[in-house]
Amino acid sequence: MTDPDRDARVSAHYRALGREEPPAALDAEILAAARRPRARWAVPVSVAAVVVLAVGVTLRLQLEERSGAEQVALSPRVMQAPAAAPEAAPQPRRDVAPAPAPAAVAPMAREGQAQEPPAGARKREALAEASADRAEPAGRASVSMAVGKITRTPETPEQWLERIAQLREAGKGREADESLAAFRKRYPDYKLSDAMRARVAPR
Amino acid sequence: MLAYREGDAGAFEALYTRHKGPLYRFVLRSVRERGTAEELYQEIWMRVIEARGRYTFQAKFSTWLYTIAHNRLADHWRKRGLKVVPLEDHEVAAPPADEPEARAAGRQGLQRFAAALAALPEAQRAAFLLHEESGLSVAEIAAATGVNEETAKSRVRYALAKLRGAMSDD
Repeated sequence: MTDPDRDARVSAHYRALGREEPPAALDAEILAAARRPRARWAVPVSVAAVVVLAVGVTLRLQLEERSGAEQVALSPRVMQAPAAAPEAAPQPRRDVAPAPAPAAVAPMAREGQAQEPPAGARKREALAEASADRAEPAGRASVSMAVGKITRTPETPEQWLERIAQLREAGKGREADESLAAFRKRYPDYKLSDAMRARVAPR
Repeated sequence: MLAYREGDAGAFEALYTRHKGPLYRFVLRSVRERGTAEELYQEIWMRVIEARGRYTFQAKFSTWLYTIAHNRLADHWRKRGLKVVPLEDHEVAAPPADEPEARAAGRQGLQRFAAALAALPEAQRAAFLLHEESGLSVAEIAAATGVNEETAKSRVRYALAKLRGAMSDD
């Protein structure tokens, strides 16, 4: 069968122009490139980078949410402070009326935050208090390491007192005293239970 | 190509051996400058190697290869601003004495033929070279150059007519 798009004479002339081949060095170079393994790490590395970023952002959001929740949880306890306590520094949370049901607390507490010192300042204060030997839950420590510069979840007063008690029990009296003094400064109206007072008070 | 994509380097070597001559001549006859042709030829194969993961069995390997080649040449022409090379710049290598076609055509006739090939519009020359060197069908030429079949067919036919005209005095 003849191909209408082919002409034997044209083909013969064309072939007579020569049958050039690429230089052997070029062949060698291309074949060597073909044998080189693909950069298999490129895809996994980019996937890992995306995962780390996503986990970091998620953890940060969760921590910030938890931070907000802890601040809310803290309010009723602070409100138990004696009404007669000196009003040295304005503490907006103390002004909040009787403890509402937990569900109703959140919006109120969030509104109250506007009057508080900047969250960053409070967190820095709390961080300054954190001594080197502070027993931090392993999970939280690893989270902090994983996401790098991240805001630490604020300690509740009970956790702080527990830490002071542990310092006291570990014989670190000076550190316990300093931490207790800082606690008093931070929560001047906090009423210690007798049991806790026995554990944290200087011996 | 699928075997090569799956890591069989030997499969690439077989493909390369089969296609290297036709592809090299396709590029060489398109740009007519050996240094540039070698550079483009190497770049085309590098693109094939890099794109191996994207190769699917939707087209014949040769169609895929010449699509890559066509695109690379199109970039080349774009950068060069479609500069027309004068006919007298074309050189014809002395035909090998033992080839019957060469003896039949004669050096003068071959030079006219080569000049006519060089003078073809780029699209017609590409269509002719793809047809002649790679053995692609008109439909495959259309796929490789991104045009419809009618356009590819008319390019091949126009090219053949002009080349025949250059041979009429032989």
